[in-house]
Amino acid sequence: MKESMMDILCCPMDKADLELEVDHEDEDEIVSGTLTCTECGEAYPIEEGVPNMLPPDMRDDVPA
Amino acid sequence: MGILENKARARLFYKYLSQVYDKINPFIWNEEMRTEAIGMLDIQADDRILDVGCGTGFATEGLLGHENVDEVWGLDQSPHQLEKAFAKFGRTGPVHFNMGDAERLPFATDSFDIIWSSGSIEYWPNPVRALREFRRVVKPGGQILVVGPNYPKTTIMQKVADAIMLFYDEAEADRMFNEAGLEDVRHRLMGPSYDPDVAITTVARVPGGEDEVASTPAEEPEPDMAGDRGAGSDNVEPDEEPEPDMAGDRGAGSDNVEPDEATD
Repeated sequence: MKESMMDILCCPMDKADLELEVDHEDEDEIVSGTLTCTECGEAYPIEEGVPNMLPPDMRDDVPA
Repeated sequence: MGILENKARARLFYKYLSQVYDKINPFIWNEEMRTEAIGMLDIQADDRILDVGCGTGFATEGLLGHENVDEVWGLDQSPHQLEKAFAKFGRTGPVHFNMGDAERLPFATDSFDIIWSSGSIEYWPNPVRALREFRRVVKPGGQILVVGPNYPKTTIMQKVADAIMLFYDEAEADRMFNEAGLEDVRHRLMGPSYDPDVAITTVARVPGGEDEVASTPAEEPEPDMAGDRGAGSDNVEPDEEPEPDMAGDRGAGSDNVEPDEATD
């Protein structure tokens, strides 16, 4: 993802701003990292350049 | 309730359906229908567009073909569907991908000029809530387009439809869009020649914006109607209302009347 996406990305739960932590960057693309909600503290991973903004109850690792 | 109106089930379904989705999809939603639907939108240069439920990227591709569109934001809940879209556009490039939920969008208020969503509404447990979320994320005066399956006319197909997922007709679409506080709601039935009304495409505008202010006196001769519009948010039921029943009502009922919805 481009860092400019941060302008409109927010927490899907409470719509608060996110804090970006970059693990790996490739030119102007963020390849991996974490977006953390500044309000509720929920963490959303960036995996292979794509932010996983699924609410916690919809993530694959959570039993449905 | 249809068996797919549960996100976990829809996810599981798509895990397998994504293998063949683009092969079977053209039977209900083809390039001609896509072009016709895109033509219902007023797309300006630099408009920021979000494709909700972009799936394998069929509509995203059509949108990118529009002369005024250089990039599209794509959101889907299914990593398996998205893999197909990644193969078409790359993980990074003209499409800004996000995994996410249509009813709980990870975008700030007034972020987009246009939301497009085709072939997704039938899986939303609460369509009105998703449409309200669209209204929040789209700027005042912006446009929302939704393509969904038109409610079949024959009884046998109705039973099939009710068992599988949400289908709706024009009246039901009007109700959902109005309840979500959207305006200028227009519909068009679309389909291939052998089944010309298999899909229903609805376009609406988010209240507010310069266009509406300019055209209000000429286009809204009935003061009562304008008054209702102005107080639009009052007509909107709070989120706590048990709207998920709506889809269930459709499944069990034989007509469009939904008694528990007629509260105001």
